Amino acid sequence: MSRADTVGIVGAGPFGTGLAAALARAGRPVVLWSRDAAVVAAIRERRVCARLPHVTLGESLIATTDPTELARQARFIVMAVASTDVRARARELGEFLDGNHIVVHAVGALAEPNNERVSEVVAAGISSMRIGVLAGPALPLEMANGTFASMVVASQFDEVVSEGRRLLNVPPGLRMYGSKDLPGVELASALSGAYAIGLGLADGMGVGPGPRAVMITRAVAESARLGVAVGAEAKTFTGLAGLGNLLVRSDRSYASQEYRLGQQLAAGSAVRGADASARDIEGAHAARTLLKLAERHKVYVPLLRGIAGVIAGSLTAEEAAQMAADTVAAQE
Amino acid sequence: MSSDRAPAENRLEHFNADRSRLLSDVERRVVQRLSNAAKAAGPGNASSLEYVINDVCYNEIRRLEAGSGNDAALSRWRDLSRRLLAMTEAERVAELRTLVAYYGRDVVGNFDPRVYKFATGIAPSVLGFVFSPIASLRDGVQSIAALDARISADGELDVVRACAARGTIVVVPTHSSNMDSPVIGLGLLRAGLPPVTYGAGKNLFTNPFISYFMRNLGAYRVDRRLRFELYKDVLKEYSTVLLENGYHSLFFPGGTRCRSNLVEKNLKLGLLGTTVTAYKNSVREGAAEKRIYIVPATINYRLVLEAETLIADYLAEVGKNRYIITDDEFSRVGRIAEFMRRILVHEGSVVVRFGRPLDVFGNEITDDGESLDRAGRVVDPASFVQGADGQVRDDDQRDAEYTRALGRKLAVAYPRLTVFHATHLLARTLYDAIAEACGTRDVYRLLRAPSGRMEVPMTEVLSRLTALRALLRAHPEHGAEHPLLAQASDQAIIDDAVRGLSSYHTKAVVTQRGNFVVVGDLKLLYYYGNRMAHVGGE
Repeated sequence: MSRADTVGIVGAGPFGTGLAAALARAGRPVVLWSRDAAVVAAIRERRVCARLPHVTLGESLIATTDPTELARQARFIVMAVASTDVRARARELGEFLDGNHIVVHAVGALAEPNNERVSEVVAAGISSMRIGVLAGPALPLEMANGTFASMVVASQFDEVVSEGRRLLNVPPGLRMYGSKDLPGVELASALSGAYAIGLGLADGMGVGPGPRAVMITRAVAESARLGVAVGAEAKTFTGLAGLGNLLVRSDRSYASQEYRLGQQLAAGSAVRGADASARDIEGAHAARTLLKLAERHKVYVPLLRGIAGVIAGSLTAEEAAQMAADTVAAQE
Repeated sequence: MSSDRAPAENRLEHFNADRSRLLSDVERRVVQRLSNAAKAAGPGNASSLEYVINDVCYNEIRRLEAGSGNDAALSRWRDLSRRLLAMTEAERVAELRTLVAYYGRDVVGNFDPRVYKFATGIAPSVLGFVFSPIASLRDGVQSIAALDARISADGELDVVRACAARGTIVVVPTHSSNMDSPVIGLGLLRAGLPPVTYGAGKNLFTNPFISYFMRNLGAYRVDRRLRFELYKDVLKEYSTVLLENGYHSLFFPGGTRCRSNLVEKNLKLGLLGTTVTAYKNSVREGAAEKRIYIVPATINYRLVLEAETLIADYLAEVGKNRYIITDDEFSRVGRIAEFMRRILVHEGSVVVRFGRPLDVFGNEITDDGESLDRAGRVVDPASFVQGADGQVRDDDQRDAEYTRALGRKLAVAYPRLTVFHATHLLARTLYDAIAEACGTRDVYRLLRAPSGRMEVPMTEVLSRLTALRALLRAHPEHGAEHPLLAQASDQAIIDDAVRGLSSYHTKAVVTQRGNFVVVGDLKLLYYYGNRMAHVGGE
């Protein structure tokens, strides 16, 4: 198969592996790049990946530790790495890419220390300007098993969107939507992780379905307000990257890392800001960085402020809940 | 007139020999592109030739109806409009070809090497007779000599020269005055850079002196009254063809003269986009080494010829400025001559500062013109327009994004390249003092402030100026003082600025009265202070 039809994936974490498995299941050529030689060896020899056990990876997937091979075999590359890792990986990858590559990231947070959008961090590390984001409520295991899942690929470049849709659309499993709202999709995706902690908190406190629904609605409204302030489109926040992501990340049966963190915080076995595990969770990281962004743009985000306060240990769950309940606007 | 170094290679010397070929390239490409688009879209679509030609007829008829006379032209357009429906597609293609050729001839410039030599002082006697019978032109010629002595050019000259030798440069300066065209022409000469071709508004050709030079020094005419797509297509294709053929060019990305004197941020990217197209075409032809470089530049005047008209227009119609002004100071040759004789008496009254060139995608470059990515690695610029198979792919939306990226880079470069004269420093200092005393920075409210508020004690002016200069030194990204001011005391700067601001404009902008500096024209103070509006918080 040609280079044009091959998808490169950076990072053999659950998402990267799930996406690779979904594509390989449909026969799409995939090059998965990992720095972990053991992970690569396991894929090559046994067609399995430790981060997504019980999934057999299709034959059209090849794994490599060699970034040259990734750059040579695939023009379209998905960066599925952690927000704390993305700067270094983009810079490293940049040594092997040129202005012709297309790079989309699947990072659902802002990048520290300057709270930049991840597409900006990627752009600073690589030559190509054809950059986008991939986001939505597609879970790794569901993707790998071929269950129906959808995501959105967004970029200011139409070519990135059309190539993303052409290459990642593998019906009947994965279906891709497109958007031009790159900052909107990045923010919506990051915010959904932060609000998922809030919903974990609420469920941990035993709130009923009514208040839970109010909270989801207010989270979407807050997100859109912040998004519009930074130049995004409001409708993006009710789409797959916003509401879609929030619903899946706050689902009780799926119990995302963020949701579980919220529940732990509600139970009092709080994982405070100083705790290493809270730093590793993208949603906690997003809550901190996005609150700073909201403050800079003077956007009113009481829910986000409450969630960030509980994570930092400056508010109790009850205080945060009271704060959110006390801030009812006259008009919706 | 003298220059500091030997002139660079003047590619425009070949222009007249190339002109027919360039025009026929423009004609062939525009007709082919529009015919193909019409075929692909089918009849009744906005891309159909019927629609394209009708758009021209409609706009030309409206323009002529709004003017006076020229009934013959009006009836020709009406006749074409009537015949259009009954035409076969072949007849429409033929009509399109005629129209493209007509507008191409209207746009195309001329380059007379004798005029260039005359204008640049190498052989002033050769064409002296051309001007001698007309007094106003004689004034103008003398003024040009005066202007040259007052212009200094600095910045990244070595890199720009290297780029001009290796590829094609596109100089993109800020735009304050109609004097910008001759000034940048002389600035290029002083910097040892080659002459450039550029699009000039047709209204500029109403000034007989400037018009003579523009007509013969490679300027092409841009008629801003022609707002239909076909004319824009011809203009853009002409610019593209010029660049592909290695003709150094100049665009004013601000579009029109900046009315407010703020450093430009909102750039018009239309012609700038032709740089990506030209480079892409070269890559497709196997000539990826025909690089094009974008050279940001600022033109910094101690005083601006048309300041009064520009700021009056800005304040009268903020947000909806007149695009074409035909009745300003520039239209009066005597005023230009006076401006040059009386105002440009200071060394370095105009500074042209050239920035580090960028490639057409907004990438920075090495000293010898290789593109660098944002992480500082050398990158092949051809890869930006290629598809997965290494072949060039046409994608207008992609190219527009690249041009937007370039525009953002220029908007960042301009403040850093801005040079502040004493007039700017004093104007900003006084505006700050008055605004603080009145509790508002809103110019409309300040214009109604009592006259007592327009007097600022010298001690306050001095202390504010000291602070402003310190702020400027701490933020080179906002610009820099004129090099000649570096050693000047604050008092010397104030004296110099008062001299300038009280000597040219109809009404003295500021005067010194005892221990006070008194503002006589707040609008102009605001205008000159605006050059520094981006420096520090308000």
